[in-house]
Amino acid sequence: MERVRRGDAGAFEALYDEYHRLVYGVALRVLADRGAAEDVTQAVFLKIWSHPEAFVSGNFGAWIVRVARNRAFDAVRARAARPEEEVPDAMPAEDSLEDAAISRLDAASLRKAVAQLPAEQRELIELGFFGGVTHQEIARSTGLPLGTVKTRIRSGLRRLRAALDGVAAV
Amino acid sequence: MMAHDEMLDNVAVYALGVLPDSEARAVAEHLQTCDECREEYRQLSPAVTAIGRSAEVFEAADSPGPLLKARIMREIRRAPEVSGHIARPPSYLGLLAAACLVFAIAAGLLDWTLRRHVERDQAQIAAQSALLAQQSATLQRQSATIGDLANSKRYAFGPGTLLVNGPRLYIAMRALPPPPKGKVYQAWTLPKGSKRMAPSVTFEPGAGGATLLRLPESAQRVTAVAVSVEPAGGSLQPTSKPIAVAVL
Repeated sequence: MERVRRGDAGAFEALYDEYHRLVYGVALRVLADRGAAEDVTQAVFLKIWSHPEAFVSGNFGAWIVRVARNRAFDAVRARAARPEEEVPDAMPAEDSLEDAAISRLDAASLRKAVAQLPAEQRELIELGFFGGVTHQEIARSTGLPLGTVKTRIRSGLRRLRAALDGVAAV
Repeated sequence: MMAHDEMLDNVAVYALGVLPDSEARAVAEHLQTCDECREEYRQLSPAVTAIGRSAEVFEAADSPGPLLKARIMREIRRAPEVSGHIARPPSYLGLLAAACLVFAIAAGLLDWTLRRHVERDQAQIAAQSALLAQQSATLQRQSATIGDLANSKRYAFGPGTLLVNGPRLYIAMRALPPPPKGKVYQAWTLPKGSKRMAPSVTFEPGAGGATLLRLPESAQRVTAVAVSVEPAGGSLQPTSKPIAVAVL
């Protein structure tokens, strides 16, 4: 990113090559539309080029996941003309928290770990992460009490964290 | 008073990013003062990132095509420099002065060192030459832009002017107020034959509200240009009434 900040197009191209499948993949999960996901991917990378200062420090992979997710939600809101206040505009800004060992796991290992979560937890977590909805909306759409939604999300994330630690330690 | 276990549940949904803003702010404040909740958040955040990273596509058939990369690289190579999508009039004078100063200092340094350390100076000359070439190229681009603006066709455009010279489109704004918190200004173009505005660049006004912005689109392919206030990061479709519109 240092070289991108200095306007190095070659460094930007390398960054694109490394992360475009991740940005596109997140946008595709949110939007379920390949054209719209490409638009989001383009918008994310042009934003990185025009405003590289937006990434301050920490784990770039974690940061770009959140940027891609938020940008995809913007696209959803624009399509639905939905008031933006209904959904948090940004995720927590703790971008440096991803454990180094976990950050080296590839997407296939991560998918396997996520798939091993109990369905009742995984579905709520994925609905929250890729659905762009609040916990109240999850409760409404699933018919579950709000407290149950929150507890299942927490249990699922804790279980996933433990599974990732196990895979990363192998 | 909320039980602390319930707060730990809230930390989890906060980490997942599904709390409404008002509740998210309360959790963020709580994290500042509670070690247990902060540790819970530290534990869960990597799992949330892993959920996002699990969506990465690897199969070629699922990946975005090479045209997307070509489109993005073409766009960034059009932009003269990082953050150069927004060029502000006052900065031209500043850059010019800086370039002259750098040139003067560089020339002085070269003269001084040439007389004393000839061999070492050869490397310095090469480095300084590269710097001067960069400065010169920047000045040439800026001169070309100024020339472009002077000879352009002008359209009334909200609190500013839309300038068109051949395929090049410029938006010039004066005293443009800063956008509301969490918002940016975004330019839009209406492609020929289309009834739907296409998103262009986002921007924020410079010092004193002055903005000079070149749009990446070709004027020969658009029939109208607009600017609206959009959420930070921009939108794919306008979500607010435009503050400026010009039909070409």
